[in-house]
Amino acid sequence: MSESSGILYVGLDLGTSRTSIAASNGQRATLLSYVGYPKDVVSRKLLQRDVLVGQDAVDRRLALDLYRPLAAGVIQAEGPLGEKNLRAAHDLIAEIVRRAKPQPGDLVYAVIGAPAQASMQNKRAILEAARDSVDSVILCSEPFAVAYGVDMLDDALVIDIGAGTTDLCRMRGTMPEDADQITNTFAGDYVDERLIEEIRAFAPRAQFSKEMIKAIKERHSNVSRNAPLVVVDLPVEGKPLPFDLTDPIRNACKSIVPPIVDGLAQLIASFDPEFQPRLKQRVLLAGGGSQIKGLDRAIEEEMRARLGEGRVVLVEEPLYAGASGALKLAEETPAEFWEKLK
Amino acid sequence: MPPFQDIRPRDSGRGLFTPAETEQLMRVEFERSQRHGMPLVCLLIGVDRLSTLQDLYGRDAREEILIATIGSLRRITREHDLLCALSDDRIVALFPHAAPALGALLARKLLEAARDMRFEREGRSLRITLSIGVAHNRHKEAITFDTLVAVAEEGLVVADSAGGDRFVETELYQLVEQQRRARELEAQRARQSGAAPASAPAQASVVPGAPPVRAPKLGDTLLDVLSGMGVRVDDPDSLDKDSLTRLLFRLQDERAPIANTELADERRKNDVLERRIAKLVSQLGITESELKRIAQLKNIDLGIASIYRDIQGLGGQDSQGERKREMMAEIFAANFQMKREIEARNGPKA
Repeated sequence: MSESSGILYVGLDLGTSRTSIAASNGQRATLLSYVGYPKDVVSRKLLQRDVLVGQDAVDRRLALDLYRPLAAGVIQAEGPLGEKNLRAAHDLIAEIVRRAKPQPGDLVYAVIGAPAQASMQNKRAILEAARDSVDSVILCSEPFAVAYGVDMLDDALVIDIGAGTTDLCRMRGTMPEDADQITNTFAGDYVDERLIEEIRAFAPRAQFSKEMIKAIKERHSNVSRNAPLVVVDLPVEGKPLPFDLTDPIRNACKSIVPPIVDGLAQLIASFDPEFQPRLKQRVLLAGGGSQIKGLDRAIEEEMRARLGEGRVVLVEEPLYAGASGALKLAEETPAEFWEKLK
Repeated sequence: MPPFQDIRPRDSGRGLFTPAETEQLMRVEFERSQRHGMPLVCLLIGVDRLSTLQDLYGRDAREEILIATIGSLRRITREHDLLCALSDDRIVALFPHAAPALGALLARKLLEAARDMRFEREGRSLRITLSIGVAHNRHKEAITFDTLVAVAEEGLVVADSAGGDRFVETELYQLVEQQRRARELEAQRARQSGAAPASAPAQASVVPGAPPVRAPKLGDTLLDVLSGMGVRVDDPDSLDKDSLTRLLFRLQDERAPIANTELADERRKNDVLERRIAKLVSQLGITESELKRIAQLKNIDLGIASIYRDIQGLGGQDSQGERKREMMAEIFAANFQMKREIEARNGPKA
């Protein structure tokens, strides 16, 4: 076999908060979706690099122009920062593909998950950002990739809670159409904002940054009524003081449940009545937001209250469910399709 | 037995007798009740999560909460009832001439009063709950004041460990009294032999001339377990098979909703983990066979990029193959159209 004929298939979940990759050589990696560039010559000399990606970029953000190219779920290619966002997305994809460790000469064929209702313009931006890092690329809807990964192709509802968007997708045995998909922004970032509001309301003197709140949320998120006490130190005029954040965290995390069930109700109500009960019993919860403890049960309870019944199943690996599904799709795509998309 | 003798200056600020004074008064009151055959009830009260609240909102908040709790207690007590704060901020209350049933009634009133209390700290409303242990002197084994307080203390511990906001009336008089007697005998033996008495409760031992001390039997252990579960048994002798079965069923009914929730949570976690393990085991098996196959093909290099295709992909027959091909054709068509649009705008990829 010649060196240039190896094909590395990759599935990419390009998310607002995290970008994950699963590759046909067994490699998997995940990165925070942040890209930073040294602010000036001094920081360039200090950091010894032109581009920092992921946790590195967040850790050294004070010396960097920091970009979150996929804020709100899509590449922000328009506006004053459009060019820079596109460049950041380009560098992010280049780094995550590098972490899949392609062999020299391997052709890299990628399936990339995009938000369910991404506009044509957004999709073009993703394709342009991926152009230099992969040899052939296919875009598909993120929740579809999740469902494909676990073979739930018919009579199922997928909830994919990311940082920027929550995607809901109805699987009915064919490619989901626009009417089968709903995207809203009640996702991880929204929870962060709600948590900030809640903390400001009862601890106005506490000092914190968005990153701190995000870290607190990721560590303690829970919607259960019997959630353990969450006591967190936050600085007040420079001195760390303990705060009981149990209720603020629960309230903030629970705030996404009603909009999710609104979306589910909409997708269920417009489905064939004969199959509606089956649809309610096959709800798949995925994405980083699915790691909120007790969220599956909270959605089930809300579904029971509003729709009479509901059963929610968590994906096994929230971080890689989208990437694994996209990889599966990549591996099963006929070779001639890849050739034509080169 | 809680340390009454530990007096702290701020106790006087709460308007109660000092612990030493109150203990003496309580002992006298207990002896009087025993002598005249009058009923008496003892409550031991603790504020739930008090130390955490102090950590969060400061010592002043702790004081305010304790004073408010004592205030509530005063409102439901009579002039001649006795109240005292112990060294660990728990409060002991003795109600002379009070029937055993009154203990539960008073505890309920206190719990309700605590739930209605409102404390504002840093713009936030704090909810206060209590744990209460209840004891009375009508039990045949409640023959000393120390036993009475120890039983109330057991109730408080059970109430607190069950999550607080409740009262528990255990029936551990027999066990506590046995332990007290055993300690006395141990002390007596130590005095006779000139050794220092052991501080820990002694095991059953035989001292010449002294009545033998019975070790807790199965029935006592059962009562202990039941009371630990918050089940009150009025007459231990009446515990036959039927009544025990009824008791356990009742307990099961009460606990079912909580247990079901916890069980459902654990099942969900297990389900996710089991699916993950099954997948990994399956992938490992395929990996091994794939590596064996590649090892046999010594002269053909398929490239490292290909070996995981079967492991992570479909591999073999797929019952949904036809449907998937149709879906892929649709995905391809949409992507091909986009590619052409981009090329028309930017020119073909180099």
